[in-house]
Amino acid sequence: MKRDKEFNNILDECLERLLVKGETIEQCLRSYPEQASELEPLLHTAVVAKKALAIQPRPEFKTSARYQFGSAIREVRYKRGLSFLGWQSRWATAVAVFLALLLAGGGTVAAAGNSMPDNPLYPVKLATEQVQLILTPSNIGKAELYAKLADRRVAEIVYIINKGKPEQVEPTAERLNNCLVMIANLPLAEMGEERALPVLEQADEDGKAIYAQANRRARLRMLLGRYAVNHPAALRTVLETVPASAKPTLRRAITLSAASYEKAIEALD
Amino acid sequence: MQDEPSLVRRAQQRDREAFAQLYETHFDKIYRYVVLRIGNKTEAEDVTQQVFLNALQSIPSFKWKGIPFSAWLFRIAHNLVVDYLRKEKKRATTPLDESLVSRTTDPQLVAEHRLDIEQLISATKQLTEAQREVISLRFAGELSIAEVAKVMGKSQGAVKALQHSAIVALRKTLSAGEANETG
Repeated sequence: MKRDKEFNNILDECLERLLVKGETIEQCLRSYPEQASELEPLLHTAVVAKKALAIQPRPEFKTSARYQFGSAIREVRYKRGLSFLGWQSRWATAVAVFLALLLAGGGTVAAAGNSMPDNPLYPVKLATEQVQLILTPSNIGKAELYAKLADRRVAEIVYIINKGKPEQVEPTAERLNNCLVMIANLPLAEMGEERALPVLEQADEDGKAIYAQANRRARLRMLLGRYAVNHPAALRTVLETVPASAKPTLRRAITLSAASYEKAIEALD
Repeated sequence: MQDEPSLVRRAQQRDREAFAQLYETHFDKIYRYVVLRIGNKTEAEDVTQQVFLNALQSIPSFKWKGIPFSAWLFRIAHNLVVDYLRKEKKRATTPLDESLVSRTTDPQLVAEHRLDIEQLISATKQLTEAQREVISLRFAGELSIAEVAKVMGKSQGAVKALQHSAIVALRKTLSAGEANETG
């Protein structure tokens, strides 16, 4: 037992000298002549294993992974910024945007509803969506809205590619990814505000509310299940035609769309 | 380059450059570890990316309590590998392709290297789960015994014993493979 422990220590010391400090097997063996016959074959195996592992990730993969990680950092920083602003500021923003939209006129807002990224009214559409998000208090409502927005973004990506306007793909795919990240991270399992237990005297009313809530969750689950299949499929069909610069963002959207919906569905179950 | 603790502190404050430095330092090692554990290039790429995305989400909760950052990162990788292997248990893995081969100009060396990688992955599949983890963390992840012990939640003595038994088992498997080829 003690001998085993001693040998394990010697072997580890030799591995450290070989693999980290760059010494040779012979140098190690000279330090431990009594254990040399047992050590030698093991050190040879270690060297072979280490050599076999001298592999590098594909450069294309490294580039795309680095880009996607950069996007993820930006998303995290953006969300942190929102959290730092606090709900008061978000409400103030909502009111300001709402007033601006009101001044722009109801007709403009309605017309912007169906605009695409190449349309001058598209920023109005995005601003309206932000107001809707801010004014949606519950997590389940937010999940429904983010899913709906993700669906719009997928349709917009397909539209702009078919229209031959590739420069619009990347920012639209970024917006899609933001929606998907938000869907994946919403605390749907807790549903604090939706799961509030009824007080006895309101049992009937609350029973109906809980039933309606269960229905809403079931509908959302179905919607997300459908998007989990349709969105990656739609994006894959256009992946080959997008410009190289937009491919990593779109690939991330494909990965995210499957994973985010799956995560949200799991949270709803 | 700054020392790792201050880089991690900056990364916890969402400093983009600090994140990028940590990413560059650990990316290749994490990739090699995942390749050795999974044995599938495409899947290893996805899992490697996920390791860093998970780290990005979790880094605010990282605390220096005698656990090196690399051990924390490999713990995330380990958990993702375990999840992956659980899900893919019944699915056959595809063979390693050319892009896994080390970039060397000598065709003879390329051939030998490729053989070694495939043999190594195949041989590590004959090891116990703990032995395989030690070999992957030690040789692919280049962690010290102390770091491997932190990742695996074992004593350094236990990790050294596992390392010994794993190398003995690897040697037997690789020798048997050679004997079969020549015999």
